[in-house]
Amino acid sequence: MLSAATLRKEIEHALERRFPAALSPSPRTRPEMAPTGIAEVDELLDGGLPIGAISEVTGPECSGRTSLALKFLGCRTQEGHVCAWVDVEDAFDPESGAANGVCLKQLLWVRCGEERRGQMKEGKPWRQLDQALRATDLLLQAGGFSAIVLDMGGTAVKYAQRIPLATWFRFRQAAQRAQCSLVVIGQRACAQSSADVVLECKRAHTNADCETVLSGFGYEVRRERARGLRDEEQEDGFPRRSESDSSRTEATVHSSALLSLPKPGPVSDAESIQTKVLPFALAQRSSACEVNAVRRKPPVSTWSARSAWDREKGA
Amino acid sequence: MSRALYVCVYAAEFPVQTRLRLHPELRSVPVAVLDGKAPQQFVFSMNRQARLAGAEYGMTKLEAEAIPQLGLFQRSPESEAAAHAVLLECAANFSPRIEDASAGTLPETACACALDIAGTERLFGPPETLAHRLREALHAAGFRTSIAVSNNFHAARLKAASLNGIAAIPTGEEASSLAKLPVGALHLEEDDAETFVIWGIRTLGELAALPEVDLVTRMGQRALQYRTLARGELPHTFQPIEPKFALEEFCDFETPVDQADSLLFVAARMIDCLVTRASGRALSLASLTVRMALEGGRVHQRTIRPALPTADRKFLLKLLQLEIAAHPPSAAVVSLTLTAQAGQSGKVQLGLFVPPTPEPSRLDITIARLKAIAGEERVGSPVLEDTHRPGAFRMGGFASGVAAGAAETSQPRMALRRMRPPVPVRVMLRDEKPATFRDRETRFEIDAAYGPWRTSGCWWSEENWEAEEWDVLAHAGSEALACLLVRDCKRDQWRLEAMYD
Repeated sequence: MLSAATLRKEIEHALERRFPAALSPSPRTRPEMAPTGIAEVDELLDGGLPIGAISEVTGPECSGRTSLALKFLGCRTQEGHVCAWVDVEDAFDPESGAANGVCLKQLLWVRCGEERRGQMKEGKPWRQLDQALRATDLLLQAGGFSAIVLDMGGTAVKYAQRIPLATWFRFRQAAQRAQCSLVVIGQRACAQSSADVVLECKRAHTNADCETVLSGFGYEVRRERARGLRDEEQEDGFPRRSESDSSRTEATVHSSALLSLPKPGPVSDAESIQTKVLPFALAQRSSACEVNAVRRKPPVSTWSARSAWDREKGA
Repeated sequence: MSRALYVCVYAAEFPVQTRLRLHPELRSVPVAVLDGKAPQQFVFSMNRQARLAGAEYGMTKLEAEAIPQLGLFQRSPESEAAAHAVLLECAANFSPRIEDASAGTLPETACACALDIAGTERLFGPPETLAHRLREALHAAGFRTSIAVSNNFHAARLKAASLNGIAAIPTGEEASSLAKLPVGALHLEEDDAETFVIWGIRTLGELAALPEVDLVTRMGQRALQYRTLARGELPHTFQPIEPKFALEEFCDFETPVDQADSLLFVAARMIDCLVTRASGRALSLASLTVRMALEGGRVHQRTIRPALPTADRKFLLKLLQLEIAAHPPSAAVVSLTLTAQAGQSGKVQLGLFVPPTPEPSRLDITIARLKAIAGEERVGSPVLEDTHRPGAFRMGGFASGVAAGAAETSQPRMALRRMRPPVPVRVMLRDEKPATFRDRETRFEIDAAYGPWRTSGCWWSEENWEAEEWDVLAHAGSEALACLLVRDCKRDQWRLEAMYD
């Protein structure tokens, strides 16, 4: 009787012309990473968010998810890449984008959902979600977009988790083909095994210069899942993966980084504002007095980070 | 100096050809075109199948309708003018010197033009080759023509009108070549035609053989012109026209069309014609305007502008389909006009180290589809307005391949998530600071309020604003918020503008 290995070789040989290496699993390579522009997060993710994969940035509202995604897009657009922002709740703020270095000309913004946000809380956001998923699908199929952000940050978990897994699987395949980083902002992770990276954000502390000036927030980012970071995991004490065990290609790790974001400073998009912009500190201090014709800046975010994993190790 | 050499193009039954050009599926069925206003319409032009089916010129509409399977169309001067322009434009690809030979001398249903092709041998080869290529080009544009080549303008014109195909008249053999044509080919005056019938002169050969002096003595100087025409010797002063290059196609429908598919079926052929004409001049289509005349006299007009000029028919048709789907006409369409602007073919210089960008033509279709999904004004690139009004922006067009212009920012900034429109809230103050606020559902306790940040502007216009902004940290149970509360000082109203995220 033929052994399984011999049988496999025979089948592969017979199908070689049509399907090369039909029964052999393709070697898994570490995906190329694109830096997020936040050193602490890049360090946490060993280089940044993966290209050609789905990354989920999760957390409750006001947890720094949007800032992280915008900074990532800022880095990508500054390198000349074209990006897209699919906005389920029409919540994107172009000024914040410009403040984080996003070249707005390089950004395609798809604003889904024409209903009032207040109504969305009462009603069901199926129409907006449907629009957003169809738009994301189209953008992934079109190719050429280096990063696409699917912003479901304000969508309730019970709705976001009703998105079929087949959709995420299709997105993953399309993102891989198009070499596009698909970043999903949500309150909880919903892409499940289709996501290569899952980050969980949390607001840690508030930075205030005085009673009247909010200077920023500190955030904690926790890595829930990261495919392909095997070496680090092994050093960190996770069980060494057997080379023949191809089913365990995914490692779930829990490490975190502390980030702190200052309030947004002057909008730096060259084509946008050519008005008198006071220095940020001056503008903040003069807020109590009558300031006419001074553009208000969103707060700045500082992401000072030290891996919680390292902290625990140090302890 | 080389001798004059003319090619005459003759398109018989031009009104019918104009119709069949955009409806090639009707070529094998009997078709007639009616002229005149109801109820005095009569058959003005017809194809061979209609003639075989029993149709005759001058038949009333009622009589024509009695002929089984005869397709009847109303004459459309606009379609004929557009088709005539296309014919001249096709001919202009072979010679810049063209004379419109339709006027006066031909039956009203025919269209003809003559080309001065002297000196084009090195470009197109012998005149017969040029004639074949010209006929093929016109066939591709939807015209069935006959072509004659001669050193004499009138000989070429008469010969072309009398044959079906291509004929080249050798130098000096004009008279023998025209000899078998009927005298009626000269479009004689009624009295003269009657005189020739009485004399028994039936062909041009017989007319050419008459003695010149005796003929002039009996009929006057015009008889001399007839004789010279019949011998192929009448001189002609060429009067070239300059065909205007206008990419326009027109089609009117017998019955109003309310199905987009039917409309696109016709539009596809019109786009084909436009692209072919533009390609003939090494050009592409930079924009395409579709103008639909609707029932009730209204007009629906849309314009599509690809990111780069293109000659891709399928791509243009897809864009048109998406545009019509997004902006359907409000009533059935009576006539359709496509006008295109020509542009140089788009070129994209790729580089080894340039990041990949979406393919322009594919991106156009993607954006059109996105607009169909999300809305016309809800897809594009945000452009910040040159104003101090918080959150002011407008949607601009998105075009890939724009060089990055943003200055690098080293420090990440906190982002706002805007509420569009802002949510009105009720705020309670304590020591002139917000202490609690309530939207329609939840009451939030404010832990810290930073501000106020006062801003105002546009005092000179009705769009002026005056507001007080507060950065607020609040909680309701386990839910914690960091948000931007704004007080509209003019109306004394509070609203939740954005969340910090």
